[in-house]
Amino acid sequence: MAQSGNSMELSTNINAAQVTTAYGHRALPKLNEELQSEDLQTRQKALMALCDLMHDPEHIYKAMNIGCMENLKALLKDRNSMVRIKTTEVLHVVASHSVGRFAFLEHDIVRALSFLLNDPSPVCRRNLYKAYMQLVQVPRGAEEIISKGLIFPLVRKLQGEAEEEFQELILDTLVLCLREDATEALNSNVVPILKQKLISTNENIRSKAARALLNVSISRVGKKQVCQFDVIPILVHLLKDPVEHVRSNAAGALMFATVITEGKYAALEAEAIGPLLELLHSPMTVARLNATKALTMLAEAPEGRKVLQVYVPTFRAMEVEPHEKPHMAEALQRAARIAVSVIEFKP
Amino acid sequence: KTVKPAKAASLARGLPTRRRTCRGGAAGRSQEPEVPSAAAPPGKPADRNSPEFPPPDRAPGCWATDAATAAGLCFAGNKPGVAPTSGAGNLPSRPPPLLSPLLPSRNPCPWHYLHLSGSHDTLAPTCFKAKLHRKRGVLPPDMASTLTDSTSRAPGTYTYTYTSRPRALPCQRRRYRDSLTQPDEEPMHYGNIMYDRRVIRGNTYALQTGPLPGQPDALELQRQREAKKRALARKRAQEQLRPQTPEPVEGRKHVDVQTLFDFDLEVTPVLEVLVGKTIEQSLLEVMEEEELANLRASQREYEELRNSERAEVQRLEEQERRHREEKERRKKQQWEIAHKHNETSQKIAARAFAQRYLADLLPSVFGSLRDSGYFYDPIERDIEIGFLPWLMNEVEKTMEYSMVGRTVLDMLIREVVENRLYMYEHQRDSHPSPEPEVEPRGPEAMRESLGASEFLEQSMSQTQGLLLDRDDLQRTTYDESSSQERKLMEQSELLGQDEETARRESLGKEELS
Repeated sequence: MAQSGNSMELSTNINAAQVTTAYGHRALPKLNEELQSEDLQTRQKALMALCDLMHDPEHIYKAMNIGCMENLKALLKDRNSMVRIKTTEVLHVVASHSVGRFAFLEHDIVRALSFLLNDPSPVCRRNLYKAYMQLVQVPRGAEEIISKGLIFPLVRKLQGEAEEEFQELILDTLVLCLREDATEALNSNVVPILKQKLISTNENIRSKAARALLNVSISRVGKKQVCQFDVIPILVHLLKDPVEHVRSNAAGALMFATVITEGKYAALEAEAIGPLLELLHSPMTVARLNATKALTMLAEAPEGRKVLQVYVPTFRAMEVEPHEKPHMAEALQRAARIAVSVIEFKP
Repeated sequence: KTVKPAKAASLARGLPTRRRTCRGGAAGRSQEPEVPSAAAPPGKPADRNSPEFPPPDRAPGCWATDAATAAGLCFAGNKPGVAPTSGAGNLPSRPPPLLSPLLPSRNPCPWHYLHLSGSHDTLAPTCFKAKLHRKRGVLPPDMASTLTDSTSRAPGTYTYTYTSRPRALPCQRRRYRDSLTQPDEEPMHYGNIMYDRRVIRGNTYALQTGPLPGQPDALELQRQREAKKRALARKRAQEQLRPQTPEPVEGRKHVDVQTLFDFDLEVTPVLEVLVGKTIEQSLLEVMEEEELANLRASQREYEELRNSERAEVQRLEEQERRHREEKERRKKQQWEIAHKHNETSQKIAARAFAQRYLADLLPSVFGSLRDSGYFYDPIERDIEIGFLPWLMNEVEKTMEYSMVGRTVLDMLIREVVENRLYMYEHQRDSHPSPEPEVEPRGPEAMRESLGASEFLEQSMSQTQGLLLDRDDLQRTTYDESSSQERKLMEQSELLGQDEETARRESLGKEELS
């Protein structure tokens, strides 16, 4: 920020990396020019200032208009790692806004960023992952990532990165990409890798991996692969995990995987009914919903039906259960009703 | 006496707190520069009697060097550097290390006192530059009053002991230090007591206890004086080395009045901007995060609902598919059954028809075969084919034989008869003896012609016998021949009868058979 210059002597430059931004609407153009300067320091300072400015979506829009993005793209290939780090940070901030995401798509920044996947500096990579994560929050962004064929490298990186934070970020990205289109990920062998992550020690990783599996098993091919790779016993095991959201996601993954007959029987063999019934009393609404649905799937099989016939009263109680959010309450009630009808079905 | 300017503490408290401690000084010295106490009054409310800011204490001297640092200190942060040691009656005047080499000037002006709050120090640089000797008249009248009543006196009461006896102070004072080389030590002029530095004003809560209690020790004072002299000399030497901006011309020198600086007033907008911008930026970022978090939360919720719905849809789909497949399977099964059924019935019908068609076939075939004579009794056939023809053959043969025999016999007879006739005819002429020739000829011929028939042989033998008999009975040849003839005829009849009986016998046999 500009400093009040009352003093007649120049104040010591406390923050050497800070540059005075021009006033008002001259700020961005000036910074844009500085980005192209030859001097390293100038570039770095400009990037820092840009970081701060880009939190405001209007500035992003303006930056797009004056062609800042191209400069940023060029800076991604800079030799100096600090510059790269700062550039990726700027892009991360940009991606958090929808205007910024649009800029990403227009200027093909995704591909330029993908070259940095193997960057030696971990900070740079972290920012990169964050930028991707922000980008895929919207479906269009996820499509972009898929269409650029980045799923396979990301899956490989998931295996490769030792740092847990990075794994979490990549998992976040993958979760949302898988929601869009799981075929490419399935081709790149994502299910076994996710299976490994399910037994990780970090609870966030477990939870996100379970969520990723949930998204994978929405598609039919995914379901088959999940059954094929014997993931269901692990998911059942995760139903007894101490952390709530891990349980909830595991129940969700099971809910989808047990739609096909194979999955049903695999789950029944792994004795999923017990933990799922416990989950019905969980504090998390979504966990209850997922558990109800999963039990409904299992009740379609005759063995499951036999076991669940005893528990019909529980479901009936759920039917009249209130909830603060009306749509959630309605959803729960409906799920319970369906479950009851399935359990009591006579051929 | 040197004034120890104290570095003040908090930026925020723009309080002018002035202390005046009476320095214990040499009695002879009239001017006792006040020693400002550095501490901000603890717990003193922010009394902003600041509009009338007492002029910052300026020890004339170069505070220029302090300017930068002080500024730095000021801008760098607000730290209440000096906590007044409350409770203690001592007011530590912390001479800042920077300022310590600066010997306080022997400012004649009794008004020169340092502002105790740090804020003043921050502005001090700018002000220090100028010689802020204020006209006496300029000073706001109630400054004194503010000064005087502004204190929360420390719980302990302070008793003032004068280090120098109060005396009238000179009114005139030098505004500027005309030359830097001027010695600091100048006689203080007498002036109004109200503006005397040595009089303590304000909070005396934490006062500096210098040589306050009791009389100052002369030796000590001297020592101090020398130290200060030395410091000053050092400072001067340093300053001489440093190039300075030349002093403005007389008349253009900065006047105190124009830069009457109310720090609190001035700092507000700056501060507001600073803090405001920072907060705005951070708020922006936080809001961004929050917005994102909210967005994500609601998205998640929606997604979960959607997931559960999707699962339901998939389940129903799956069910549908299973049912459909089941149906297909059953339909297929049924179709196969029907098809088979059809085929079977067709087969049965075909079989029945074929059976019926072929039912007549067998009897007709057999019938026609039988009719064509393919079925025969082998014995019968054998008899028919083998025996009977043979029999007929044999019968024929036998009949032929008998016929031949008869013929031969007839021939014999004829011959015989002819011979007899001849003979008869001859006998008459000659002696008849050819009979035996005839007779052997006769039986031989008969033998030849008859073959193997037993009856014939028998008859031959009979004939022979007869013939032989006839030899005996030559006489009776005629009779014999006639008897022979008669016997032959009888034999032939007999033969014929025999033949007839034989034939009858064979026929009978045949019939029997």
